[in-house]
This record gives sequence, C-alpha cells and structure tokens, in this order.
Amino acid sequence: MAQNQRPASILDTLGEEIVRIITPVSICMLMVVILVSILSLDDSSSSSAMPTIATIAYSETGSDSSWDKFMGALLNSLVFVAVVTAVTFILVLLFYLRCTKFLKIYLGFSAFVVLAFMGGEIALFLFEKFSFPIDCVTFLVILYNFAVVGVLAVFISKMAILVTQAYLVVIGMLVAYWFTLLPEWTTWVLLVAMALYDLAAVLLPVGPLRLLVELAISRDEDIPALVYEARPVAHHDSGSRDGVVRRRVWSERRNVLHDSGGDVNSNAILSGNAGSNLNSGVVLSVASGHNDTRLAGAEEGRVVEANAELSAPLIDRRMNDNMHRQEEDDTSENLLLEGIGLGSTGAIKLGLGDFIFYSVLVGRAAMYDFMTVYACYLAIVAGLGVTLMLLAFYQKALPALPVSIMLGVLFYLLTRLLLEVFVVQCSMNLVMF
Amino acid sequence: MTVAAGIGYALIALGPSLSLFVAVISKKPFLILTVLSSTLLWLISLIVLSGIWRAFLPLKSTTWWPFALLIISSVGFQEGLRVLFWKVYKRLEDTLDAFADRVGKPRLFLTDKMQIALAGGLGHGVAHAVFFCLSLLTPAFGPATFYVDRCPQMPFFLISAIIALAFVTIHTFSMVIAFNGYAEGNTTDQYFVPVVHLVAGMVVKSASA
Repeated sequence: MAQNQRPASILDTLGEEIVRIITPVSICMLMVVILVSILSLDDSSSSSAMPTIATIAYSETGSDSSWDKFMGALLNSLVFVAVVTAVTFILVLLFYLRCTKFLKIYLGFSAFVVLAFMGGEIALFLFEKFSFPIDCVTFLVILYNFAVVGVLAVFISKMAILVTQAYLVVIGMLVAYWFTLLPEWTTWVLLVAMALYDLAAVLLPVGPLRLLVELAISRDEDIPALVYEARPVAHHDSGSRDGVVRRRVWSERRNVLHDSGGDVNSNAILSGNAGSNLNSGVVLSVASGHNDTRLAGAEEGRVVEANAELSAPLIDRRMNDNMHRQEEDDTSENLLLEGIGLGSTGAIKLGLGDFIFYSVLVGRAAMYDFMTVYACYLAIVAGLGVTLMLLAFYQKALPALPVSIMLGVLFYLLTRLLLEVFVVQCSMNLVMF
Repeated sequence: MTVAAGIGYALIALGPSLSLFVAVISKKPFLILTVLSSTLLWLISLIVLSGIWRAFLPLKSTTWWPFALLIISSVGFQEGLRVLFWKVYKRLEDTLDAFADRVGKPRLFLTDKMQIALAGGLGHGVAHAVFFCLSLLTPAFGPATFYVDRCPQMPFFLISAIIALAFVTIHTFSMVIAFNGYAEGNTTDQYFVPVVHLVAGMVVKSASA
C-alpha cells in the first residue's frame, strides 16, 4: 500500500504523552462508574452508618433543609481540609528530618490496607450482589496474594510497569469508590474544598506541598509518594537525530504534576468497620526512585516530557526494548552536558490523589444520571488537557485538581439544571439534530 | 428490556463509530485528542442551546411550529459552530505544518487532513448519540420496554437508536465534506452540509409528529 512507502507524518506521534495519561484516568473513572451503578445503594440506609473523618462535624439526613445541608457540608469539608493540611505538614517535617524509611514503610502499609480491606469489602459487596459462590479460605488466600503483590508493585521499581500502573489504578478506584459513599452535599463541597486546598498548597510559598517539592529538589531526593507515571514515549525516529534535537532540556526543576497527590489520605475515611484505627495518615509511596524532573521542550511544539531519573547516572530504568539507540546517544550526551540527573525520555507523572478525586466526581455524577457522567468526564479531560498545557508553559509543579474539578462541577450543574430537561424533551418527541 | 437488549441498543447507535474509532483513530493519538475536543465543543454548544431554550420548555407537543423553530435555531447554531471549527482548524494546520518543518518531517498529507476532519465529525456524532440516545437507555436495562404510539410494534429505544445511528453518520461525514468544501472553495459542498442537516432534522420531526 502507498502508506508504507510514505515517511511517517507528524500526526502519527503527536500528542502521545497526553493520551498515555488520559487513558488510565479514563479507565479509573469508568471502573468507578461501573462499580457505582452496580452497587448503588439507597441514600438513607448506608450513608449515615459510617462515621468517618469527613462526616465528623455533621451527618446529613434526608430531611434537613438545603441551607442546613450546605452549612453542614461546609463544616465537614473544613474539618477534612484541616486534617489534610496538618498531616501534610507532618509529612514535610518527617521528610525534613530524613525519616524516609518510616515514610516508605507507612506507604507500603497503607497500600496493603487499601487493597486488602477496602478491596475485600467491595469484593464482598459484589459477591453478595451476584450471589457468587466462594468459600472463605479461597477468598482470603486470593485477597492476601492480591494485596501483597500490590504492595510489592508499588514498592519495587523492577516490577513490570504494566502491573504497577494497573495496581495504582486499582488503588485509586477503591479509594474513590469509598469516597462516593459520603453524603451528597458533603462530597461536592469537599471536592471544591480540596481543589482550593490544592491550589493553595502548591502555589503559595508557605504551602506544604511546595515546601515538600523544594526540599526534594534541594536535596536531590525523591519524595515517597503514590504517583502514576505514564510509560515514556519511545521515539521511532529513523535516521536523523530527531530524537536528540527534540530533547532540549529546559530546566532541572521538578515538574511533577503535583497535587494533593500523595496526600490523599485514604486512611482518613477508614471507618470503624475497616478495623484499623489509623487517623488520617498520608498515603505515601516510593515512586520507584524518581528524582529529577526536567521538562524537555521540543521547539514550538512543547512536547511535555516531565522526566524523572535517579541521580545514579548510566542506569536508566526506563530503557525498554523499544528504545532506539538514539536514546542512549542522547543519554550520554546529556550526561556530558548536565552531570546531574539523566536525560532519557521521561513521562508525565500524575499523583494518585488526582485519579481519586476525578473518579469521585464522576462517580457522584453517576449516582444522578448517565448524562451528567458524560458531561463531567469531558469536562475533567478538558481540564487535564489545560493543566498539561500550563505545565508545558510554566515548567514547574502545578496543581492538577483545580481546573478539572471546577470545570467538572460547573458542567455537572449546567447539565443537571439546563441540559437534561432540554435533551429529554427533545428525544421524547424524537426531535433530533 | 434486559441488559442484553440495552447493550444491543447502545451498539446499534454507536457500533460503527466504535469500529471507526478502533480502526482509524486509536492509532494516532492526535486524532483521539481531536475527537475529545470536538465532543466537548458539541456539548458546550448543546448547553448553550439548552440555556437559551430553557425558558420555553416544556413545549406543547400538539403544535409543530415550536419544534420547527427549535430545530432551525439549533441547526443554524451548530453550522455556525462548524465554520468556527474550520477557522480554528486552519490555524492548527499552520502550526502543525510549521512544527513539521522544524522537526524535519513531511507536512500534513491530504489523508491526514481528512483524518482530522473525520475525527472531528466523529466527535460530534458520538456526542449526539451519547446525549440523545444513550442517556435515555437506562430504563432499557430493566425488565420492560416502551412502545411508540404511531408504530406499536417498535420499541421506542430501537427507533431512537436507529435515528441516532443515522445522525452519527451524518455528523461524521458532513465534517469531512464541509472541510473539503471550505478548503477548495467549493460552494456546492459548503451548502450541502447544512442543508442535509436541516432536512434530516425536519424530516425526523415531521415523521414522528
């Protein structure tokens, strides 16, 4: 076919990094929507049964007036944000005192708790719903293995990247599902509050996340955190040194899409029935030895490649079979140029907290109707795209929550108030355009 | 009627676009982004329209002219949006060509341009199918179904799915035709698209009135 003889046009590879980060976010959201629609319980029964940190100030009942609900939700969110802030400051303190081992162990522990306990409970709900025959021993063995492999995947960097990514998405999905069990008003106000907190924590000079990032940069260490890293793009450029030319390194600062990523305290909502009394710990994890993040701008195109490499030179863990020899040339060249850190193809990193809160928003929208789900999904993806573009433009750690959450909430309200009536009217009368 | 029937209706409306997506669009990430952005744009246009028309709803279903007005205004708005889309696309094309020049790759081929137009159209079509057909399908997953007055043998969901399929096709390919028409200055093509859109909308309405 003629196609084979033509050189590859730019359309083939442009935008690949963005799609590689949108795909897992979409998968996580889809799974949460499916879980929510399968397991939809009626509001009155279970939401008040769970004492969690997020409902400590006020538990919503169906009969309160809107204003009461709103004030109660506001109180809840303030408490929640306060707790998260306190914990993040503790985290910064621990990181400052170089207690990294403690943080890593805590991270592994919380990953285990999420996978084993939350995953187990959701599995039990599903078994109940579908009357699936399984005995206790088998279930325990499978669950235990599942959780342990998950902890290893999150800890060890030598694990197959697909497994690590899959487990991170599963962890995000489980936590997000539990968040959707909160009462409605509380959830929405909480989302907005977390978006604002994220904005403040990353951009204000006194914000804990910014302090954390700057500490990590100055020490050239990695922050132990649960971060999803998209598989780096392998350039199949033939012949010329296109691969090298594209990778003009801009700066050595960390460009992680930072957010309340590591700080989402899955433990904050661990209720009594999960059996553990952790108070809102911060879920942390080692992001397999990631260190420096540099942004490689490709000319005008500004292909964002937030790179993260260990300070140990010559060892590039991200080298996989696909990589062209160009990569190695590039690496050594960058070594000569820079000395610190590595050039190799990096990838965009997105904190797990983002996954969780996006999925919570979409899950909540799913509890109303599917139209809101589509609208919110599109809004969130658009917000993510905007954030990525801002990342390419500003080249520093940016909060990923605010734009997407604000757009998501806006579209949810617009759809619920305006669009639904219109579309239902039209389609009932088969008026289509 | 059942989960199977519900999935069936969804696939009737979206099956061809799904295969188009998997075969053509999923290979090139840029096209995926184009689909997503054009879907978003269509959604925004729909929200604006519903904002404008909200005050007049619910329309009485006995008289036909409010619906005609609705259709004409909506189609006009969307066609206007298509022209806007074209202008944005022109600028995008220039940026892409400049980028290709710097990176040393060939400029956009004709097939590339048509693929971008196809992706844009598919985005519109999928948005239409999702909002007009899929969002109503939730009752279809249950145990019963709902028949139309004028044709008591056909369930409402089936009719809505088939019409959605037709509109997906219209949206998808009219974008390609329109972009081609704008690029070559071919006025027949340029007017063909809005006319087809309008006629389709009116015919569907009058057939079901």
